[in-house]
Amino acid sequence: MRVPVEEALRYLGAAGAGGETRQMAEEAAALLESRLRPRFLWRAFRTERGDGEILLPEAGIRLPGRLAENMLEQCETAVLAVCTLGAGFDRLEQEWEARDMARAAVMDACGSAWTEAVCDAAEEEISRRFPDLYRTDRFSPGYGDLPLSLQADFLWALDAERRLGVTANESFLLLPCKSVTAVIGLSDRPQGAKIRGCGFCGLREDCAYRRGGKFCGI
Amino acid sequence: MGFKLPTLLDGAMGTMLQAGGMKPGTIPETLNITDPEKVAAVHRAYLQAGSRAVYANTFGANGLKLKHTGYTVREVVSAGIRIARECAAETGALAALDAGPLGVMVEPLGSLPFEDAVELYREVMRAGKDAGADLVVIETMSDLTETRAALLAAKEETDLPVMVTMSFDETGRTFTGCTPASMARTLEGLGADAVGVNCSLGPAEMVPIVQEIRRNTRLPVIAKPNAGLPDPVTGKYGVDAEAFARAMEALAAAGAEILGGCCGTDPSFIRALAGREYPAAGRPEIGGAVCTGPVCVRTDGIRVIGERINPTGKKRMQQALLQEDLDYLVEMAIRQADAGADILDVNVGYPGVDEVTMLPRAVRAIQAAVDLPLQLDTTDPAALEAALRVYSGKAAVNSVNGKEESLRTVLPLVKKYGAAVVGLTLDENGIPDTAEKRFAIAEKILNRALEAGIPREDVWIDCLTLTVSAQQEQAAETLKAVRLVTERLGLKTVLGVSNISFGLPNRLLVTEAFLCSALEAGLTMPIVNPNQKEIMDMIAARRALSGEDAECRAYVERFAGETNENGAAEKKAAPAEMTLGEAIRRGLRKEAGRLTAEALATRKEMELVEQELIPALEETGEKYEQGKVFLPQLLSAAQAAQAAFEEIRGSLLKKGEKGTDRGRLIMATVQGDIHDIGKNIVITVLENYGYRVKDLGKDVSPETVVEEARKTGVRLVGLSALMTTTLPAMAETVKRLKELPDPPKVMVGGAVVTEEYARSIGADYYGKDVRDAVKITGKVFGS
Repeated sequence: MRVPVEEALRYLGAAGAGGETRQMAEEAAALLESRLRPRFLWRAFRTERGDGEILLPEAGIRLPGRLAENMLEQCETAVLAVCTLGAGFDRLEQEWEARDMARAAVMDACGSAWTEAVCDAAEEEISRRFPDLYRTDRFSPGYGDLPLSLQADFLWALDAERRLGVTANESFLLLPCKSVTAVIGLSDRPQGAKIRGCGFCGLREDCAYRRGGKFCGI
Repeated sequence: MGFKLPTLLDGAMGTMLQAGGMKPGTIPETLNITDPEKVAAVHRAYLQAGSRAVYANTFGANGLKLKHTGYTVREVVSAGIRIARECAAETGALAALDAGPLGVMVEPLGSLPFEDAVELYREVMRAGKDAGADLVVIETMSDLTETRAALLAAKEETDLPVMVTMSFDETGRTFTGCTPASMARTLEGLGADAVGVNCSLGPAEMVPIVQEIRRNTRLPVIAKPNAGLPDPVTGKYGVDAEAFARAMEALAAAGAEILGGCCGTDPSFIRALAGREYPAAGRPEIGGAVCTGPVCVRTDGIRVIGERINPTGKKRMQQALLQEDLDYLVEMAIRQADAGADILDVNVGYPGVDEVTMLPRAVRAIQAAVDLPLQLDTTDPAALEAALRVYSGKAAVNSVNGKEESLRTVLPLVKKYGAAVVGLTLDENGIPDTAEKRFAIAEKILNRALEAGIPREDVWIDCLTLTVSAQQEQAAETLKAVRLVTERLGLKTVLGVSNISFGLPNRLLVTEAFLCSALEAGLTMPIVNPNQKEIMDMIAARRALSGEDAECRAYVERFAGETNENGAAEKKAAPAEMTLGEAIRRGLRKEAGRLTAEALATRKEMELVEQELIPALEETGEKYEQGKVFLPQLLSAAQAAQAAFEEIRGSLLKKGEKGTDRGRLIMATVQGDIHDIGKNIVITVLENYGYRVKDLGKDVSPETVVEEARKTGVRLVGLSALMTTTLPAMAETVKRLKELPDPPKVMVGGAVVTEEYARSIGADYYGKDVRDAVKITGKVFGS
């Protein structure tokens, strides 16, 4: 699995940059690829409709709010996934913050972009296991009105602490830092885009990108 | 110990509870109270299948994981042990207290302080002991630091035997990068009674891991694999009981003596194991080693101990220690690691420095960035113990000596924390002037160490180098003593080599000649400056000559191409004629340092700062604002300026003047927030504008920030938050800061912070990015 360098440059606010910045990003990407092994873990669960929430009874999880309802309304199955670059990334980033902060910043952007790519890879694997079903956009705790506190429940349902070494702290932030949890709905009907774009984003009112007339890309 | 460890353990608890109808989302340990029969049924099934010990249902019964259950650790652990004991008594088997990971990460990967982790485990251990557990099991661990905390708690709270297993993946490491060798060395040292591996892999994949553990410990080895991997759609595991039991033969042959199962196994697996005969593996000689989680350094060859983290005779290091500038120590550690050191000596003893707090802080800071094992160098037993406690891995201790007082205070600490120890051949009468007398002290130290329970291979002897210009005949005595200790005691020797040449011209030559002779006499662990290329060249040559460097591969590689001492950090070539400003703008650290040193011959320090450094930084900052350069260039320029500042600081120090100080501030990432690269970026840039920034780190409580602000009286505090969930902590911190009698200005920033929000919580400034932070800081300090 490769680090998407172009994407990392965009995270750095240096989309399309050449020269030194690009070279730094390529070197950071090569270092990450040689030292880390990103992993993901997913599990498919049956869904049930509750009152203003979607239930995953086998996982003991409730997904409250409009986002989950809207996203999963046509889905019999929902997949919970967790993706991570592992604690090796945190370690490497600490080391590079001590060595060279410029490279650490580039490495951080590469790590973020790579984590998203790992999620894409997880989605591809899910697709292969369910070739006849359509996927929704993937979405995560903290998007829209889906509570961030679900991070801990997802980890529990997937046994992710034991199987991937991913933990959540009391503010529901994940450690290792380049880790993501997500939900993907599976349906027998094609699923339109419902989540990507500013119209769905909770930050749209005071997003720095939007104020600058730009787009974050998600 | 008069206690025989069980050879057949049980299988999974969670898998069985789920199969028994445990509701999804239940905290399994609460069943000890709400449905004890369900738990007892699992134990009985395993005991009937042949288990000689059952793990009580206490894996997650710690203060963090039980927090919201309404039960105390004591309640859940006592109930769990009682159930396990009652069931085990029926077959004469043992009931083990089971302790798993806490569920949050310990420093430096996470923000839970080490001693807090120890305390959480103490609570579990006390409850388990009081409830009558027969032994303690610590399992499914990933982080060596957390594992140490659990084992220390078990040893300090109970006299029970302790078995420890960690989980390794198919790369042969734990999720946090710990190797099987490092686990075995560290935990045997700390007093575990058996070590091994559980969970994560199936039995076949565990073979190389068990082999590596076997090569690194004398203890019995445990293997408790999963039944393969679960299917993400059905949740079923891939390996059945028969295949599992068959695959365990290879594990037994690799050296595992205590067997059982983990996730996906059930009593049928244990029955299949109970019905088979397993071969007993031999026990190889393990030799000596020191380690950190990721790196295990065996002492069976020439190992270079880096000497640079030591304030003796080093002004810049003295200043760093007095100012608590740990970044400088980390930088020195990284440079020595890059230069090829195997172990780093760490000495922070200097008048005005509180070693008891500074040594463990230095250890933590260095271990967060560098993987090499450390040699803790102090004469203060309290500082030594504080550092040994937090050191993650198996450390070396420098040093004990032949004095009764030293033997009595140091050796018990070395034993308790499982370190290796350097024995100095001196005693109450000073350094003997003959090799034979030094040998006698070495022998005495060895015997006392053995009596204290320290294994022979963990005793290293330093026969002491004296300055040849002062005591010429002593050079030969030192070499002779090294030979005697090597040949007669079979111990590894350490020697501070550089001392030999003190006071002579062309010191390096004398040092090299002495190093060569000492290596010939049997020295294996020279303490040297690895940044001196000639020294490391000599060692590379010795390794080739001794055969340690097989086929001279490392030697050839060393001299095959151009070696770049800065590694990847600086590849850009500088043109012949370059100004200091240009070097900074282009981010050329080495050039910036060199040009500053040259300029200092003719110009004043502050003049350079005002006329060269700041304008170059400003220009880069403006270009960044205009989108003409990007964040990496801005940071590179800041770091080049840092190299220039280092020269300026050094020059001022020589003249006895204080450093450049344009203003002091505190920065912190707020409580609950663990992402701090944004804050660190801001600090890097501010420091290179000449501001002194005290970095309080991440996940910092309001109390800590306020206390530091009160204590130091700084005029500016910077706070960062990344997530909406941690904004309340930012608001609380600002509020408390503003309640101080003479409140500092507060600047806030971070991904989710907005100008409006900043105003609403009473912050004085909102910094949208690093440039903003520089401007705000300039405004506050009027520069």
